[in-house]
Amino acid sequence: MTDWIRELEEAIGAEKVLSSPVDLIAYSFDGTFEQHLPDAVALPETSEEVSAVVRIGSQHDVPIVPRGSSSGLAGGSIPIRGGIVLALTRMNHILEIDEENMTATVEAGVVTANLQAAVEKLGLFYPPDPASIKQSTIGGNVACNAGGPRCLKYGVTGNYVLGLTIVLADGRIVRTGGKAIKYVTGFNMNQFFVGSEGALGIVIEVILRLICKPPYARTALVHFPTLEDASRTVHTVLTRGLVPAAMELLDETAIECIEEAMQLGLPLDVEAILLIESDGADEESVQREINAIADICLETGASRVDVARDEEERANLWRARRSISPSLARKAPNKLGEDITVPRSAIPEAIRRIKAISTRFGLPIVIFGHAGDGNLHPNILFDRRDPGQWERLEPMVEEIFRVALDLGGTLSGEHGIGTFKLPYMREALGQASINIQWRVKQALDPQNILNPGKVLPEP
Amino acid sequence: MLSETGRSNEPTTKPQRSAEEEALHCVRCGLCLSVCPSYRESLKETDSPRARVALVRALKEGLLEAPTDGYSAVFFRCLLCGACTFVCPSGVAVDRILELTRGELAGLGLLPKALSDLDARIAQYRNISAEENDGRLIWADNLPTPPTGLGKKRAEVVYFVGCVSSFFPRSYNVPQSFVQILERADVDYALLGGTEWCCGYPMFINGEMESARDLIHHNVETVRAMGAKKVVMTCPSCFHFWKHSYPAALGVEKMEDLGLEIQHSTEFLADLLETGNLELHELRENVTYHDPCDLGRKGGVIEAPRRVLAQIPGLRLVEMAENRDSSHCCGGGGNLESFAPEVSKAVARSRIRQAADIGAGTLVSACQQCERTLANAARAERLRIRVKDITEVVLEALEE
Repeated sequence: MTDWIRELEEAIGAEKVLSSPVDLIAYSFDGTFEQHLPDAVALPETSEEVSAVVRIGSQHDVPIVPRGSSSGLAGGSIPIRGGIVLALTRMNHILEIDEENMTATVEAGVVTANLQAAVEKLGLFYPPDPASIKQSTIGGNVACNAGGPRCLKYGVTGNYVLGLTIVLADGRIVRTGGKAIKYVTGFNMNQFFVGSEGALGIVIEVILRLICKPPYARTALVHFPTLEDASRTVHTVLTRGLVPAAMELLDETAIECIEEAMQLGLPLDVEAILLIESDGADEESVQREINAIADICLETGASRVDVARDEEERANLWRARRSISPSLARKAPNKLGEDITVPRSAIPEAIRRIKAISTRFGLPIVIFGHAGDGNLHPNILFDRRDPGQWERLEPMVEEIFRVALDLGGTLSGEHGIGTFKLPYMREALGQASINIQWRVKQALDPQNILNPGKVLPEP
Repeated sequence: MLSETGRSNEPTTKPQRSAEEEALHCVRCGLCLSVCPSYRESLKETDSPRARVALVRALKEGLLEAPTDGYSAVFFRCLLCGACTFVCPSGVAVDRILELTRGELAGLGLLPKALSDLDARIAQYRNISAEENDGRLIWADNLPTPPTGLGKKRAEVVYFVGCVSSFFPRSYNVPQSFVQILERADVDYALLGGTEWCCGYPMFINGEMESARDLIHHNVETVRAMGAKKVVMTCPSCFHFWKHSYPAALGVEKMEDLGLEIQHSTEFLADLLETGNLELHELRENVTYHDPCDLGRKGGVIEAPRRVLAQIPGLRLVEMAENRDSSHCCGGGGNLESFAPEVSKAVARSRIRQAADIGAGTLVSACQQCERTLANAARAERLRIRVKDITEVVLEALEE
């Protein structure tokens, strides 16, 4: 055992430090197919313990890879250079729900769905809803600036961050922001750490803005014989002044996988469905909005609109939506899920081009995603054991990114860069932007020990 | 039957994949972490279904050289509640991975000692508690009148009591209540006494299915020789094993092919109360029902106990946050109590707190094991929640 592992054990207790081969394997992966072993795992329970772990890492120049449930889809929490995996799962306390100021103060390891359930009991609402909502943590959501279907109307995780407590690379603890809604005192440090994937500091506590829970919601399942019509409809609905809470697109393969997993009676004879939700404080206006959306859909090529009859049916539709990504495993043992965004009007063109890539390379690409946000998840399905398929993967990914960039979009809408998208960062951002971001990184983490090899290509 | 997600609780007839093939289809989304009772307590990935699957793959792919005690412990520190398999959108049969891996580990001599001792005891004594098997009916001594099912050579219905209720005085209440209900309903039933052997489930879950074969054959031959048409169990594990694993072991598709209907006591009681002439009195109680994993999610019996409770006037059923298919394990699964009692206790406490959260005065279940672990947890948590078996509740309603 190396000296620094012993130091970790002394600092936070041997039972909170893991280094057996079996434990290291358990902490070697995320929600992708990549894997790399850490040298040790720390399971701190307090901010002081996190600080102690980071300090030891810094003293010994050991990489520190923070993580929550490690459900990420970009390799962001894989310890690609070994070192310490710092798992924040045990820091899972909701410290305060301030009903008067409508804020929640939570530790980083709180599972997002648990926070939502807790605030909803009080009539409050925390909208961001990544598909991994049942397992992913607030810390991870902040680190990736996670989105989700409802972000169309309500905004992404970053829009709800009022304050952060961060452990810096040398172990110091700083706080940014606070409960005040307006906070123009110095640089906007909150947004600076949001989406930083643990490479600038380790978020251990978050103050989140809450809103009132809209009491009414209706969800429509809209059948489209052609994918083209479905993708064009998204734009039409939004330009007519309607603001649905969510507008999700699923192509035929996505529908097929979900239907196999859940048997909900989804249509198997259409090229696409849109899942559209309308919500609000007034039952009649919610109903009016969903009716207006249904009318537009029927104008633009929908063959059928089914509105969920009750809460159970509605919940099932959204559970189905959240299950798409993992359900793809029913088609092929491996998937690579991308997360490109394009300006909304470019969605039909983006889909056309992605489907053409699939045809050209002969590997299926499933398309689903937050169409209303211009955020698509093209998933390439493949079998990694087949070298013929494996070698096609990288050129396909590259072409998908090129589609996004050509159409004025970018690499990631909500999953982050991790290691998977690193090779495309220069093209996406330009060298000048990379350079100034590196200056920031170096100022905060001069030893490059915080999640090294992620987010930014090294100069 | 179809569950909430539309998935069948019945074992599928599709060709079964090897453990490695199953593991290959895990995309590591981590959804299973959210339902795994042991992970939710330790918040340590090594205790998660996703890690177990990853370990099977690591061994196959050479990232891990050979199975060790540490590797083995990961596969046995599992309550076998089946929540992960049930929730998995990728369709990974984690339960199958566990079954096959445990089998391999047992073959390599890497079974935890408490479990190999248990299997040896069953092989020698035909029961889990290393007592003379003839003592299976001691619980009947305390009844006001001897059960009519004693010593019967032939009967339509055989009540298969199960080891725990036969040998652990704390669980005697279950068979005692059940036979009293049968008596009141004039059911023609028989008890097996010493000719009842352990169903074999402990050996199966310990990865030693081969050792269970003698027990399976003996039990089935015994009930068939009595002319039984129906075998009823109060123990969900005996029920699940008889119903879903016996057929394959006997080379048939289902037990009905042998002329035997396998029922859990809650199914039997639901039919009896809905069609019979038994008069049930009012019980003013706020109860919640805990679905045992082997009965509900794994066994497919979810509505029957609720139908039973619905027959009792005055009884108000309130569901816990996690119920039916999504029920949370009591902590008593997988024999974990015998070698990882801290996990078992922590899980039980979380479950009983769910009952407290909804203000239940009584927690009713249909499994002697669940009832024991949850009653202990209620005490440990200082909660004023009574824990009862559903047969006790029915008997109370019959008596009042």
